Formats: sequence, structure tokens, C-alpha cells
Amino acid sequence: MIAIDTGGTFTDFVRWSESTGLRIHKERSTPDDPAASILQGLAVLDPEGEEPVVVYGTTLATNALLTRSGANVCVLTTAGFEDVLEIGRQARPRLYDLHPVRPAPLVPADRRLGVDERIDTAGKVLRPLRRAEVERALDRVKTLGADSVAVCLLNAFASPRHERMAARLARARGFDTSVSHEVLNEFREYDRFTATVMNAFTSPLLGRFLARLERAIAGATRPRRRLWVIQSDGGMLPPALAARFAVRTVLSGPAGGVTGAVQVARRADSTGRAGRRLIAFDMGGTSTDVSLTTGSVPLMTEGSFEGFPLRVPMVDVHSVGAGGGSIARVGADGRLRVGPESAGADPGPACYGRGEELTVTDANLLLGRLDPRGLLDGTCPLDAARAARLLARLARKLGLSPEAAAEGIVRVANARMEAAIRAVSIERGHDPRGFALLAFGGCGGLHACALASALGIRDVLVPPHPGVFSAFGMLHAPVSRTYSESVLAPWGPGLAPRTEASFRAMETRARAELLGRRASTVAGRELRFERGADLRYQGQSFELAVPYGARLERDFHAAHRRAYGYADPARPIEVVTLRLRASEPRAKAGPRPAAPTHRPRTARHAEAAGRVYESGRWRPCLHIRRETMPNGRRVAGPALVLEYSATTYLPAGWNARIDTAGNLRLREGK
Amino acid sequence: MNPIDFELLHQQLGSVCQEMGRALQRSAFSPNIKERCDFSCAVFSRDGEMLAQAEHIPVHLGAMPASVRAAIRRGPLGPGDAVLLNDPFHGGSHLPDLTLVSPVFVGKRLLFHVANRAHHADVGGMAPGSMPLATELYQEGLRIPPVLLYRRGRPERDVFSLFLANVRGRAEREGDLRAQFAANLLGAARLRELAGRWGGAAFAAYGRAFARLCGTSMRRLLAAIPAGSYAFADALDGDGTGSGRLPVRARVTVGRGRAHVDFTGTAPQVRGCVNAPAPVALSAVFYVFRCLTDEPLVLNRWTMAPIRVTLPEGSLVNPRPPAAVCGGNVETSQRIVDVLLGALSRALPGRIPAASSGSMTNVVIGGTDPAGRPFSYYETVAGGAGAGPAGAGASALQTHMTNTFNTPAEALEHAYPLEIVDYAIRRGTGGAGRHRGGDGVLRAYKLLCDARVSLLTERRESRPYGLAGGGPGAPGRNMLLRGGERIPLPSKANLDVRAGDVLVLETSGGGGWGRERRNPKSQGRRERDLVIGL
Repeated sequence: MIAIDTGGTFTDFVRWSESTGLRIHKERSTPDDPAASILQGLAVLDPEGEEPVVVYGTTLATNALLTRSGANVCVLTTAGFEDVLEIGRQARPRLYDLHPVRPAPLVPADRRLGVDERIDTAGKVLRPLRRAEVERALDRVKTLGADSVAVCLLNAFASPRHERMAARLARARGFDTSVSHEVLNEFREYDRFTATVMNAFTSPLLGRFLARLERAIAGATRPRRRLWVIQSDGGMLPPALAARFAVRTVLSGPAGGVTGAVQVARRADSTGRAGRRLIAFDMGGTSTDVSLTTGSVPLMTEGSFEGFPLRVPMVDVHSVGAGGGSIARVGADGRLRVGPESAGADPGPACYGRGEELTVTDANLLLGRLDPRGLLDGTCPLDAARAARLLARLARKLGLSPEAAAEGIVRVANARMEAAIRAVSIERGHDPRGFALLAFGGCGGLHACALASALGIRDVLVPPHPGVFSAFGMLHAPVSRTYSESVLAPWGPGLAPRTEASFRAMETRARAELLGRRASTVAGRELRFERGADLRYQGQSFELAVPYGARLERDFHAAHRRAYGYADPARPIEVVTLRLRASEPRAKAGPRPAAPTHRPRTARHAEAAGRVYESGRWRPCLHIRRETMPNGRRVAGPALVLEYSATTYLPAGWNARIDTAGNLRLREGK
Repeated sequence: MNPIDFELLHQQLGSVCQEMGRALQRSAFSPNIKERCDFSCAVFSRDGEMLAQAEHIPVHLGAMPASVRAAIRRGPLGPGDAVLLNDPFHGGSHLPDLTLVSPVFVGKRLLFHVANRAHHADVGGMAPGSMPLATELYQEGLRIPPVLLYRRGRPERDVFSLFLANVRGRAEREGDLRAQFAANLLGAARLRELAGRWGGAAFAAYGRAFARLCGTSMRRLLAAIPAGSYAFADALDGDGTGSGRLPVRARVTVGRGRAHVDFTGTAPQVRGCVNAPAPVALSAVFYVFRCLTDEPLVLNRWTMAPIRVTLPEGSLVNPRPPAAVCGGNVETSQRIVDVLLGALSRALPGRIPAASSGSMTNVVIGGTDPAGRPFSYYETVAGGAGAGPAGAGASALQTHMTNTFNTPAEALEHAYPLEIVDYAIRRGTGGAGRHRGGDGVLRAYKLLCDARVSLLTERRESRPYGLAGGGPGAPGRNMLLRGGERIPLPSKANLDVRAGDVLVLETSGGGGWGRERRNPKSQGRRERDLVIGL
């Protein structure tokens, strides 16, 4: 099995099988033709084509949306609501702004076509949709030269009959068609329409690409390889289904990391009490993704993307635009700001040799928290003198010593990370002190201990190969898809037959989509179904997700108390949305996150002496290779734990050891 | 205090306000709070100076310091206490805005106050929604001076029952008030945690540093405005009781890092409800200057120290009780901003945009639904933003003193006997110019039962001005469609509507900026016909 995670700079590969064990590889990304780096990497890591399964985390839909380079879309919508996609929620993003600018609508006005029809929120037809009306609109679509149609009718969540009819006619005329009640069967028209349009925008593109990639990787090898695509909710789907709901792949990358985190949580060292409850902290060059898991992949349905709501199920990650590449500057008012601008991959931090801006990575280097010989086992050397020059300039402006300024940059960056961790924990009623922090990504291990101290977290875990951990996580992705249906009805015993029928209908659809003509799953087992419901007190507008079962009411009151500080059992509860997660159980256990088998190419001393600046002074600091740390041996901070894909910084007062699951486990105190 | 600790505390105090807002929104019951986010949260010092705010609603944020001062003046507060108020003449702005102020104790020491303000869907009075065309405050709803709503963490039952007996939709009101209290509790808990982490001395140092930053930033931004005296005048369409146009005038005199904002010449207070209490006027003054800087200023005495504001007593911008005020907060505040920006445009022609739509377009629809349940629905409708030197104005956007969301049609129709029949951008209503003003909005509501409607709207006669040769935005329009008839409605009205009627609100476009270069006919698109037709 091979997992591929395409990133902005690098494409990460992880191969695992019983016979070969775990192997990792990195390949320069080829944004113009993502298939090129994929085929290249496959040729390196699996030249014989022995691995039958390739799992792919794609950023194709993400990039198409970011660069607005997707399909040519027309929207068919209820007459009178053509501008919903442009009006949005009518609010401006920044409060004190004399010149507010909103993102251009995804589809311009002349491509949003109204059709005469109307259904009310109870699903009753107020004005029927006539076939001639749809054909007239489709003629216009043809005239406009569009190839993709988004069908977005008001109240379609209550009754899909008009949407079905319009979709049938559009598909009959050969248009790629996205339908709002299929993409996101929930109320709130702007959110549903937006998801549908994003899907229409990306689906044709992803379909063509995946078909091509599937042929390319199948042709190159002897056994026929199967391609799977990671979804934003951490599940994987066959290419055709993934392309049909392309908007569900927008968070494909972070989903891999979260899936990996769940694996670590399930297999944590038996001594680690906090093992099952993890805060996953994935800090890369330009962004940081934080999520919280209690043993399963945390999902959310209230995400957003580039200023647009994106309410499809996705891993519940809180992303901040800050990472190792975030730029530090002093403002006119004398305040030190870190980010949101990033030096990105090009030119990168100053110490990469070309950048003219000081970044968090530069500060870490100058504080002695990176291996001075360079990244990736020295294959990527660092220019400390260049960074030091820029730091001296910034320190003068602040009236601080260079070291104090560098430490300040790290602390300000940490404050943003801390806010992100709070957003997924405290703001939702979870006390971070009951969790362990799982740090990965290129920079996660550098900041983890400071963040843990600030939040009162006692345990920090760094998995093996932290720099390719998201790809590793993808090895564990189940075949799965999440379905939903808005109900909007008061909860009571009388509702049970209706909810049961809804769940059954979703299960039937899941079997059809995930199994197709197969009688059972690959593993020969039934699909597994998990039922959930989004509930609220009648009259509220925001829902809390609870498992659907006998404890439904009790769970909801408890969740409300945890989230908002009070519960009111006397108030009636409303069922807003039913959710079904259908998944295919894995035939075999996936790889364990075992100790690295990847060895550095150059021989290195296991240990070296360095120095690090912390809490206002320079101190001696041990540099130790992770591969040489025997199980159980404790290393006391200050220390740097070095490995190929990342560095972990252990401050004074912290100690580290490798646990039985192969994680680097860091603790404060004795 | 070193700049790093300052930045850390600054971010942490800001996130306390955000967390409060999130808790309030998600556990509230009325659509105006939960869907439209018509609320604001802030943190204050022990003596009532604002230290941090979340990016909520400008008109609230600027007027909340007066509420906290009023709560402090009421008398000493203990841990777990919370003061409720809405009296526009004792720390409030208009009656539907209920403000809850809580002291934050760390041990026995009072260190902060937290406060949140939320616009409730009803607080009693002569019409559902408490935004009527009134002629005195008593008609607008229940007037609440600062009173204890919670004592030592426990609700004051007597105050609750008095309040709930006077408002429509008591269950919703009670739920919203509990959500407001929960938000303050959360804010207090977070502040205690921060105080434990940093220590009282750090907060004292932060307060001093923040005070310095506020004062110096404001002086710096004033010093960057060319010295001089700049006057501007605009007008409200009227007070709804036949006043005719009401002039709003301001003269902004700037020099040596100080400013004097003088509203002399503004109309005297009126019989109708567009009087703006002094905190509302101050809030608009602060907003305008705040827009000129990226620095994180909030309204407190340090920020406002370099600014002298003259609000003639008994005028539209500083009325005496018991003037009716419900439209002052939402409509007059927008005009004050237009006038101040107009004055500043003479000093800073390269920065200031033309007028935005200049009205919040408030609509309340209330009555008894076909199932026999009382309902009251309030919302505001966006308009066009003014164009500026930087480019065209945005269409269909909340501008200046408000920033509330719309309610999705599917949510609205689920909860109320209303059907949205048309919701569109009014193409071509933005003012002409090198940069075109943003376009206004059309929103049409079909009534599914008899109901009572209150309208408080502006710019239905006067037009948002253009600048630097740009044309004005098109005015808005209100009308009722009844059995094939189009009945024009005034800018402010209380009316009874019948099942089957369609209420149509059209908001104004923003002003254009710069002289038009091309043939005016080639620009913009014509407004389309109503979808519902006749």
C-alpha cells in the first residue's frame, strides 16, 4: 500500500507492506502536472509495481478553487433567488474598513439562471416546475458555452422532486451536473448553493484528472493497481465517486494527518493515560492545522473556504495562516507582528538563502533550536548569517537584544498557535489539560513543549516521521462516506419512524454507492453504519452533534451544558439534521507507526553538544539522533532530537523517551 | 511592559471577547441574535474603560462604555452579580438593545468588567418588535435603568418576572437573557484564568501601556490629517411624523494632533423616533476615526482624550428624555457617519469614500401566526457601499455602524408565516462615476397571515452623495403589493397588513466616486422587474 500526499512544495510518499515495512520518500511537487511527480515517486518507491493499492490525498479541487480555474459553470435556481450567491450573508469581513471588498461570486450574474418554480419548507409544491422552463434554461446554458450545471432550488432539502427533474434533463443533454440536495442535503440556501457551485466548478476537472491518473498507474505495473482518493472527512472513495463530489476533497491533506492522529491515539503507550485523547498539532511552513480527537476522526460541518461557507463534512481542523514561514515585522506603532504574511516555499525563510524577510524558522535557527548543519539531514543547508543580519535590524527597532527579539518572535507565533488550540478545546468546552499534544509537520516539534506549558498539557507526543505524518495517516483511511438529511422537526417518540426511514434510505444509498455491484465489501463484511443527529433546543439556530441512540436526549443536554454553561431539560429539542457515516471495515490492521527504518544517508554522530537560548540566556544543549535513542532511555532538556523529516526541541525542565509505540514522548517535570 | 508580553495579552483579551460572542450566538433563541449576530461583547477595566472588543457591531461597541459606567454608578457590585439595562438616558442606546454588565473578581479584588449587548426581538411597547413609529420613549417598550438581574450568580426572580410580563415572546426573551449571562460567566472565567497566569501586576502594566497606545495612536492619526476646519451637512428624510427633512451638520476642526467635532446646526430633537442619544453619536464619531487606522483602538477615555465633541443639548444628536429614540441608533447614527466622512473628505480627498446606503432599513413583522402563536421578526437589509479612490463600492453589503447577517430564506420560512418571494441586487442603483457605487438590494416578503409591520428606513428621498465628481446612489423605495395594486409606503411607517400582501423593500445604492470617463449609458445594468410581478 502506498499513500501520496501532494503539498505545495513537496509530494510525500509512504509505502508500507508486511514484507518491506515502512518506507518514506519526498519528491518535488509539479503543480503544472501533479501526475508527473506522482509517477516519478512511485517509480522510486515501488519500481516493480508490487503494491496494489494507492491512496491519494489531492489538492486539485483546492487549487482550482483558490485560483478560480475550474469548469465553466451555470446555475439553475429558483426565480427571484439568482443573487443569493452574490449577496451571501450581507456582512463585511472587517469592521473598520472604508473600502470593504468582497470576493467576486463564484459564478457571475449572467450565468445564474432563474426558473419559475417554488416549494415551501414543508416540501409542498407552491408553483410547479415545467419541463419547458428547464429546457429553455438549458438552451441558454448551451448558448453561454458552459459545460457544468449547478441545480440550486429553494427548499430542495424538504422536497427534491424539482431538482431531480432539472438534473435529469441537464444530464440527458450531456452537462456535468451537480445537484444541491445531493451535494449537501441541508437547509440554509446560501450554504447549500455555495457547496453545489464549488462542486460544479471542480468536479469535471477532478474527474478528468483521476481518470488519467488511474490509467497511468494501472498501466505501469503488473498487478492492476487500484486508486483511492482521500476525502475531507478522512474516508477514501474510488475515483469516480470522489470526482462526482469533488468539493468533498478540499481538505484532503489535513484529513490524512487527523486520521494518523487517531491511529496514534488508539495505539498509544499503555502507560499513557492521556493516550486516547489527543490534540493534533500539525505545523507546517505556511499554515497550522489543529484538531482534537478522543479516539475517532473529529468531523465538522461548519467549515469555510476562502470567505465562502463550506458545510460539507470535513475533519474538524482549525487552521491558522501561520507556520515556520510566517514573517516578523515591527509596525509603525512599535508592536511586533508575526504573520499573517508568509515567505512560503519561495523565497522561503531568510536562512534558506534567498528571502529578505525574517521568519519564525529564522528565529528558531538563531535560538539554537534547529540543527545548524541544515534540514533533511543536512541536504538542505541553512544560512544563519543572513538570518542574523535581519534579526539584528529588527531587534534594534524593538530596543531588545537579538536573542530577546528572536524569543519574542517565537512567543508571539506561539500565541497564535495557542489561540488555535483553544479554539478546538476550551471554546468548545474541552479542558486541554486532559489531552496529550500530538505534534507533527515540519515545525510542530519545535513549538510543542512551550504550547503544552502554556495550556497546562503534561504530555507531548511526536510520532515517527513527523514530517510525512499526513501521508502516513492516509494509509489508515477507511472506505467511507458521510450522508446527511435535514429534518427540522421536534424530537419525540412520534418522530422515530420517520428518522428510521431516513436512515434506511441513506443506508440504501450508501450500499449502492460504496459497493456498487459488489455483493459485499472487499473484506467480505457488511458496511458499518454510524448514526448521528444534530440537535438544538427548539428556537435556537446552532446544533450540537450527538450519537443517535437511546441516550440521545441526555447526551444533548450534557453537550449543551459543556458548550454553553447551562442546559434546560424543560425546553423541547429539535432534530435538525440526521447524519450517517457508512464505512467499510479494514480487512487487516494497517501499519504501526513503528520506529523509523529510513536511515540517513550520511553517517552521523549519535550525539553532539550545542547550545540553545531560552528564558533569557544561552545554555548547553544536547543534540541527539532519534534513531539512536534506545527504548526507555530518558533524555533531559535542553535538547534537540534530530531526524530526517523534522526536529524536536526539548526545553529545560522537560524530558523525553521513546515509548513502546515508537512515539517520542515528552513530559514536563521529573 | 515589553512589546511581546503586550502583544500576548492583547491577543488573549481579544479572544475572550470572541469566545463570549460565540457562546452567546450559539445558545441564543431569537433569529436576530443567533442568525443575524446582532450583538457585541467587550472587556472593560475595573473602573469601566474598554480594554478589548470583538469585531461585532460598531454602534454597540462605541456605545457600551456608557453602559458599563452606568452599571458602576448604580453601586458596588459583588462576585456573580450582573446588571441589566437598556435605558437610552442611563447608559443604553435604544430599548431593544439589552446590555448585561458583570464585574470580574479575582479573589476579593475587582479586576475587570465584562459586558455584552444584544438586540432582542421585542421589549414590549406599542408594536411588535419594539421599533415603532413612536413619539415618546414610553411607547417604545419597557425602560430598564441599571438593575441587578443576577445576584451572586442567582437570577433575581422579581426582576425577571416583571420584565417577562411586559414583553412579547417571553420564552424566547428568557432564553436569550440566559445566553447573555452565560456569555458573561464564560468571559469572567477566562479572565480569572488569565489573571492567574499573568498576575495582577502584569494587567496593571498592560492597562497603562494600552492607555498610552490608545492616546498616542489617536494623536498620530489626527496629526496625519491636514490642519483645518471642515464642514459638511446632510439630512434625514424625516422623523415619520411629518417633520420634513432634518439637517445633520458637523464641523471637524483638526490641528496639532487634536480634533473638535461640533454638531451645532443639527436639527433640534424631534417628535418622532430618530433622536440619537449622546452615546450613539459618540459611537459614530469614534467609528469614523477608527476607520482611518489599522491600530486596535477601542472607545475609551484615552482614545477620545484628543477629541472634543460638541453635542448641542436638545438636538437630534443629544436629545432630552423622554424623546423617542429607537431609530436614532440605527438610522441617525448612519447619517452622522455620512456627515463626518463628508467633512473629512475635504481634508483627505484621496482616502474617503462616497456615502454608503445610509440606512439599516429596519423591518419588524409581528402578530399571531395561523397556529395561534405570537411572533415578532426583526431584520435589517443591506445596501450599496460608497465607491472610493481605491475602487468601486461593494453591492448588497452592511456598511458603517452595523454588520449583521441576513436570515436565510429557508430559516425564515421555517420559523415564521412569511415567504420570501424575491431577493435581488438592484442593478444600476449605485452612483455613477469613475468608480461606481455599490448596488442596493430588493427584498420582498409575502405575508401568510395578517400582521403588523413597522418600517424604519432612510434614503428613500435623499440620496447617498457621490464624491470627486461621482453621482449619488439611487434612493430606496418601500411598497406594498395588495391584490394587483402597488401602494407606495413612506420611509417610516406602522401598518396593518393582510395575508397575501407582499411587502417590498428596496435599499439605496452607494455614491459614486470620480468623474465618469465613459459614456454613462454604457455603464451599469438596468434594474429588472420584480419576480412576483403584478
